[in-house]
Amino acid sequence: MKTKGSGISRRDVLKLGAAAAASATLPLVHVRTARAAGKLSVGFWDHWVPAGNAAMKKQVAAWAKKNKVEVTDDYITSIGNKILLTMSAEAQAKAGHDILAFDTWNIGNNAENLEPVDDVINSLEKKYGKINPASEYLAKVKGRWVGVPSSSGSQYKPSCARISFFKAQGLDVQAMYPAKPEHTALSDQWTWDTMLKLAEPAKKANLPFALGLGQTSDNVDWVGALFRSFGAELVDAQGNITVKSDAVKQALEYMMKLAKFLPDDVYSFDDASNNRALIAGKTALIFNPPSAWAVAKRDNPSVAADCWTFPTPAGPKGRFVPHLTYFWGIWSFSKNKSAAKDLLTFLMQREQVEERDIAVDGYDIPPFMSMSDFKIWSEVEPPRGTVYNYPVRPFHNATPSISAYPAPRDIAVQIYNRATVTTLVAKMTKGGQSMDQALSWAQDELEGFKRG
Amino acid sequence: MSWKVSSADNVHRGWDAAPPLPTRSDGRQDDEMANRSILATLPREEIARMQTGSIRRLTRRRSTIAFLMCLPLILLIFGLVLYPGLYAIFLSLLNKRMTQFVGLGNFTFLFQRSTFRLVVFQSCLFAITAVFAKAVIGFTLAHLMHNLPSKNQRVWRGLLLVPWVIPLAISTLGWWWLFDPSYSAFNWVLNGVGLPEVAWLGEANWARFCMILVNTWWGTPFFMIMYLAALKSVPEHLYESAAIDGANAWQKMRYITLPMLRNIISITVLFSLIVTFANFDIVRILTNGGPQDQTHIFATYAFQAGIQSGDIPLGAAVSLFMLPLLAVASFFILRGVTRRSKEAL
Amino acid sequence: MKRESRPTAEKEPLDGRRFGTLRRRRRWALWGSYAALAVFVFMFLIPPFYMLMTSLKTSAEISEQRTNPWLVYYPTVQNYWELIQDRNFQNFFVNSVKITICVVAVSMAISVLAAFSLARLRFWGSQVLATGVFLTYLIPDSLLFIPFFQILGKLSLINNTWGLLLIYPTLAVPFCSWIMIGYFASIPKELDEAALIDGAGWMQVLFKIFIPVALPGIIAATIFAFTVSWGQFIYPMAYLYRSDQMVLTVGIISDLIRADVFQWGKIMAGSLMAAAPPVIIYAFLMDYYIAGLTAGATKG
Repeated sequence: MKTKGSGISRRDVLKLGAAAAASATLPLVHVRTARAAGKLSVGFWDHWVPAGNAAMKKQVAAWAKKNKVEVTDDYITSIGNKILLTMSAEAQAKAGHDILAFDTWNIGNNAENLEPVDDVINSLEKKYGKINPASEYLAKVKGRWVGVPSSSGSQYKPSCARISFFKAQGLDVQAMYPAKPEHTALSDQWTWDTMLKLAEPAKKANLPFALGLGQTSDNVDWVGALFRSFGAELVDAQGNITVKSDAVKQALEYMMKLAKFLPDDVYSFDDASNNRALIAGKTALIFNPPSAWAVAKRDNPSVAADCWTFPTPAGPKGRFVPHLTYFWGIWSFSKNKSAAKDLLTFLMQREQVEERDIAVDGYDIPPFMSMSDFKIWSEVEPPRGTVYNYPVRPFHNATPSISAYPAPRDIAVQIYNRATVTTLVAKMTKGGQSMDQALSWAQDELEGFKRG
Repeated sequence: MSWKVSSADNVHRGWDAAPPLPTRSDGRQDDEMANRSILATLPREEIARMQTGSIRRLTRRRSTIAFLMCLPLILLIFGLVLYPGLYAIFLSLLNKRMTQFVGLGNFTFLFQRSTFRLVVFQSCLFAITAVFAKAVIGFTLAHLMHNLPSKNQRVWRGLLLVPWVIPLAISTLGWWWLFDPSYSAFNWVLNGVGLPEVAWLGEANWARFCMILVNTWWGTPFFMIMYLAALKSVPEHLYESAAIDGANAWQKMRYITLPMLRNIISITVLFSLIVTFANFDIVRILTNGGPQDQTHIFATYAFQAGIQSGDIPLGAAVSLFMLPLLAVASFFILRGVTRRSKEAL
Repeated sequence: MKRESRPTAEKEPLDGRRFGTLRRRRRWALWGSYAALAVFVFMFLIPPFYMLMTSLKTSAEISEQRTNPWLVYYPTVQNYWELIQDRNFQNFFVNSVKITICVVAVSMAISVLAAFSLARLRFWGSQVLATGVFLTYLIPDSLLFIPFFQILGKLSLINNTWGLLLIYPTLAVPFCSWIMIGYFASIPKELDEAALIDGAGWMQVLFKIFIPVALPGIIAATIFAFTVSWGQFIYPMAYLYRSDQMVLTVGIISDLIRADVFQWGKIMAGSLMAAAPPVIIYAFLMDYYIAGLTAGATKG
């Protein structure tokens, strides 16, 4: 089917320009153009913490009342790819919500059908600083932002470790990353090599690190961060396949050493497997947002009280923390775009972001570094301060990253969804292939992804 | 003459049956219309009157009414099956951005991908093994059930139908929980007897086994019921004559049962092949393509490489891959069935 | 004595020795059948049994690893109770029932009319249609739902349970028609001839003759349509997203699985409650189902 352009006429551009200028200078006053009133229909991501949805509803209702817009808000789950199906449905049918939540890669996949939101982004960045590079990479298509990064559903996947085990091995994680805004010398020693040294005693102590090598997002994310910290790129920013580079080989050699100490079933891990391993008390380290710890609080409190969250290990080229961003996108067929932009600007103001984050116990991650100091992360317990270092803070010297960066987006989305990174590792560590064989396979796969 | 009937009047015939032309009371055979038997009992004058009047009217009305009655089905098929189907086929002939027509470009591209060749192999392995297992087990169960006296069959039939009756997506979740790496109840049993744990969904061959197991578990009751129904319609006297002639159980099966059931076996196997090749839920929930793509089948690979990766035409091409093959197979099998039904008379 | 009464090949065996062996052989066969069936029943019912056990456990007991997972130590009906009281779950149930009954009614209406016309009345192309109706299953529903987006979108039926009413019949109608055609064709033509001579119209022939005679077959097809509609997953997953419109199969999964947090006890309880209606219907109408397939589906 032929897809039309974004369908913006010159008049729209002028209107946008005016609105953008206005909202940039008066961020807290919402410009009510003739089209700001009327109806708006929003499809939010159904937060796994129900209180998060309640908070969102409240904020939306308050905004709707103030601006006299009739807003219908739906909460659509991502289980079973439901929100993906909704997205595809609305894109095909060119009808549906005005604003829809888009996850990591789908914001870019649907770029042709989305309204550029540079004006909203500019006004937010002027107030709160630049948005993190991972989100920018995902949502800036051909120089224009097509989605507003949301906090609702955005997450990091840092280390979540069992304090007692690490202490017994001589590494006090609470001292390494204390619940205070200070950088410790100890944290510089938290590298992949250090982790590798501790993997063997972990396995002996029946608490092997539950670091998955399956094909779902949790698995692809941490391995992607590892690769990036070695400087290993499967495809570089120009689109050349660099899978046979030295950096990749280095990363793979590391993985070969590490895989010996991982449990046998990591190859079939899905997104919840590492959670379950932690809750069952069977592992000393996972890379996951605090959802696992939150459930452990209910089902296995002794394990929960022994957990501490802090950034991923550093490699030769830096420390990278896997980051998944949820975005809000405005369909180009929406009939009330200016109201939509108003709403999104409102929802991403610091007060609203913080209020929602408190409702979900700090699970959500705002896209701005300036918002990494909410009190909720210091208060959640037990143990107190356990998620203080969950958001990437300025003194961490860490960068939010997405697996397959910096490949061109069209290729990267396939690398991510087809889990090329973890499959490459698994072919060597489990499939018994030599590095050359595995790399040739990867080369072949990546060639296929380049097809336009 | 009363035309209220009861089910006892039912006679088993092929669905294409044309009843034999009866002879008239004076020995001659009429070949105008098949329904002469009643007329044969009436006096000639009445027959003549009727022939000019009501029968001709009936003939005229017949095809219009037929068409009208069939109209909902025709509309359904054209509007909700043919049109979307043709659109889906059209989709598979487009390029990624859906702006250009590329003909069979997607298909030739797929042939060159080693992953896709793996998907083809796995889909065939899955479908053929599962259908074979279902047919054999279903047939066995039907036989065992057939041996029981009728009144006892009820409970057993009910219990054995349970797998098919539970919604598949839901029972697959239950199986998944049984295979879960940390909490598997099967592994608990294995540990209990001293055997090591099995990575049910973690190892390629075990994962494939699990897929086939779940599909067989779910689909066997359907086969069992179809075969049981068919077995009941094989006349007893055939078996008895064979027994008297000294045939043992095995020979009875080969020479009586299998030929008589040939049509139903063809139809159920064909239907099951089509449905099993199209299976999505089981693999999606259990392994989502499994350890390193080694349990991917057409539907799941289509979803991952298609919708999730933003290339819907490629996904369509994958899904439709088996279409030509299955269509040809269906044509030949259905033609065989129809022919055999006609011959049986 | 024995020599005189030794049976020939045609006569029924009459002497005690031969008769006793047959009866003994038959009894062995019978007990053997029971034993084999019992084994299969055991294997078939392992997952439902486990689902039942899990649904009676609390979340803590499920996570805890030391005890036998096949038994419940601290049974609770909390999971069932909470679900029954949950507004969303009730909604899902009602929606499922509503849509399934309507779909079954529509599917059967279409199938019966079409089967009658294809089995009895001839028009150009009816032969092709009768054989080809089967081939509608060739396009998998994991692909078909994409074009359906457009159709439903244009009719503004996305996120509406009634949109499913339009689409579900495509799943059941082909198979039901095929069964009904087989059944109707095996009804002797003399019956409708008699009725026609007596002045009945074709609709009356359908309602007064065919449907009563073919009732087992119709019930069989109805049950098939019910099972297929009740258990459908892909279509409601794709087209419904508001809780008040969702059906059971999708509702259970999207409500009780949140991000990477699974509530297994409730999921199993919900699953069993979702599985209950088809099982109950089958229990009551089983005999008709078998009888229906007996007469109509056999070929040759």
